Amino acid sequence: MEKSIETIWKEGFLESDKLIAPKLNNLYNQKSKHIIDKFNRMFRINLIAIIIGSILFLIYSIFSGIPIAGVGVFIILSIIVVVNKNLMNTLGKIDKNVSSYQYLISFDQWMKKQTSINRKMSRFYYPAFFLSFVLGFWLSNEGQLLYNEIINNPNEIYFVNGIPVFWVLGVLSITGIIAIFSGKIYNFDVKLIYGRIFSKLDDMIADIEELRK
Amino acid sequence: MSNDFYTSSILPYAGIIIKICRAYTNNQEDFEDYYQEVCLQIWRSKDNFKGQSEWSTWIYRLSLNVSLTLLKKDKKNRNHFSSDTLPAGLVEDSHVFSDESLNQLYSAIKQLSEIDRAVILLYLEEKSYQEIADIIGTNQNNIGVRIKRIKERLKKKLNLKN
Repeated sequence: MEKSIETIWKEGFLESDKLIAPKLNNLYNQKSKHIIDKFNRMFRINLIAIIIGSILFLIYSIFSGIPIAGVGVFIILSIIVVVNKNLMNTLGKIDKNVSSYQYLISFDQWMKKQTSINRKMSRFYYPAFFLSFVLGFWLSNEGQLLYNEIINNPNEIYFVNGIPVFWVLGVLSITGIIAIFSGKIYNFDVKLIYGRIFSKLDDMIADIEELRK
Repeated sequence: MSNDFYTSSILPYAGIIIKICRAYTNNQEDFEDYYQEVCLQIWRSKDNFKGQSEWSTWIYRLSLNVSLTLLKKDKKNRNHFSSDTLPAGLVEDSHVFSDESLNQLYSAIKQLSEIDRAVILLYLEEKSYQEIADIIGTNQNNIGVRIKRIKERLKKKLNLKN
């Protein structure tokens, strides 16, 4: 006699071996792979975007008469890309033949090392970006025209050996402030791009640690 | 999650979770991930259980919600075709039970829409129409008709007469 759907279901599950619950150990394999793969993808896309952006800005700067700014930004971004590409290569060397927990911990350590290196670099590159723009504008045709106008009105600007002292002091002050806050700017930048992944990673590690108790 | 909580409050209902997770996944790796996520969510949300329904009903609801959420996430995250979007014949299911009829039934259930899968699983677990409506969040009057239609579709897929 043909079985009904209900009978197939009931009889099918009568044997207890069909409902063996998986052990709650080492079960984060796929999830941890997903999160690290996702970060890898985003990191790679980010580096490619930086390369494309720096080339486009270089071309734009040449045509808009501020080539010094373009070259400066291009050099700074190239250094960032080279350093981060090397860091990315070390990410690939993390041993995958370990438990999910160890894998995530290794990834977390790599992440901390990576952000620490970039944060240190940001102390130099954020001010360097600013100075590139100032120099680029100052040495452009428009900048030189402005300088000549200032020269012709010496009573309004305080000069020492042809240098507008207060303007230079202003630029240096802003550069200093950017350098001081570079860490915070970098943190904001990272949080904006990778914030969700970082919080997921923290949650996952916390969950596994709780499970391991 | 303490061992005590898992052993006393989750493990006796593991069957429910397993049946639901199996219906929404196509391989052991995904199944284990879904199972674990459901267990974690039960543990995290245990304080939200106010006793307005049976603990098992609450677990059903949570398991379904977690599975549906994970399924959506998976579909969104995977750039390639997921098995859920592929035609039935192309779905490769690595879950195998020793009972061939059960394998065929599961395979047919997996070809249903996400909500229909939930409805038929609850029906097969002998939940009342009211409970199914509560868990799914729909009207009790529609459940009977829906179950009838789903059963007809399943019978057709399984080549059953009645």
